[in-house]
Amino acid sequence: MAQPRLSGVIGLFSRVGVTVFGGGDPTIAILQREFYRRDWLSPEKFAIAFGLARLTPGTNVLAFCAATGWYVLGFLGALAAVLAITIPASVLVVWLTRAYDLTGHYPLAQSIANALLAAAVGTMVGAALLLVRTQSSRGRWLRPIVIALGAFVLAYFAKLSPLQVIGAAVVVGFFWVEE
Amino acid sequence: MNLVVLYLLLVKATLTSFSGLASLPVVRTDFVVRRHVLTDRQLNTAVAASRIGPGPLGIYVVSVGYLAAGAPGACVGWLAMITPAFLIIPMLQFLGARAEHRRARAVARAVLFAGAGLMLSAAAPMARDAITGPLSLAIVAASLILIAITRLDSLWVMLGAAVVGMLSFLF
Repeated sequence: MAQPRLSGVIGLFSRVGVTVFGGGDPTIAILQREFYRRDWLSPEKFAIAFGLARLTPGTNVLAFCAATGWYVLGFLGALAAVLAITIPASVLVVWLTRAYDLTGHYPLAQSIANALLAAAVGTMVGAALLLVRTQSSRGRWLRPIVIALGAFVLAYFAKLSPLQVIGAAVVVGFFWVEE
Repeated sequence: MNLVVLYLLLVKATLTSFSGLASLPVVRTDFVVRRHVLTDRQLNTAVAASRIGPGPLGIYVVSVGYLAAGAPGACVGWLAMITPAFLIIPMLQFLGARAEHRRARAVARAVLFAGAGLMLSAAAPMARDAITGPLSLAIVAASLILIAITRLDSLWVMLGAAVVGMLSFLF
């Protein structure tokens, strides 16, 4: 794994914080893809951060950022990741609150946000496919695809919460260990 | 509004919820119903601003803080939003070397693949809101291909979408 600098961590999280729309899921999808591209985090550590973030009270994606920052640079990394992803976005949201409170709408921002939301959807699907594809190399494709599709069915059709789906994945992962 | 009280109310809401907007009922009860610090319209404004803006949906507590006590209130809201995130670090420390065990790695990878399924399930309802015509469909398709197949920095995908959104509004 590559060892990032503090400035690199701040740079990545701050720009993801202000360019990704649609909430925590697209943010995690983008970060997952950037970690993979930069070789900052192993898939196992990403998975632990992802799973534990769902168990942490508050906004899941911020716990995820704290965990991934902690993995790459210790407590300083966790602090930097959380501050970097929240401060610029918070300034923007205060500005939008003012604009929205005064005018009731903000059509240009809405138009840009709609386009970014569409990009977030494509990004999430792309990141999910990338995640399964990169981790199912060397002919080991059955387990990733079965678990990913199973999770999708449980979450989308059976309406299980993400926490319940992760709980099911833990059970499956415990008993279905590939050689 | 007293900033300490504001922090305690917001951190109570964030600590007792497990996703961005799940704290909304607690915030409404405390700020709108009990203390009359905000109106329902202001709370809606806070949620709308968080939906229009980037970042997690839980960032609406920053707007709530701002509407309740101005810029200092926004800072307090921000602090209440980020406080629970650091609870994950003791959990990571507890896992520590246990995470290197073969079966633990298998569990972690299963969670990773379930994460891919969860991303797809979260994308599906978002797609219903996001795809409103041929242009938004083209943005979805282009960003999907660029993210899944190329190694292009995601920043350019987002900036490209923003430019397309701006141009579609202007022309």
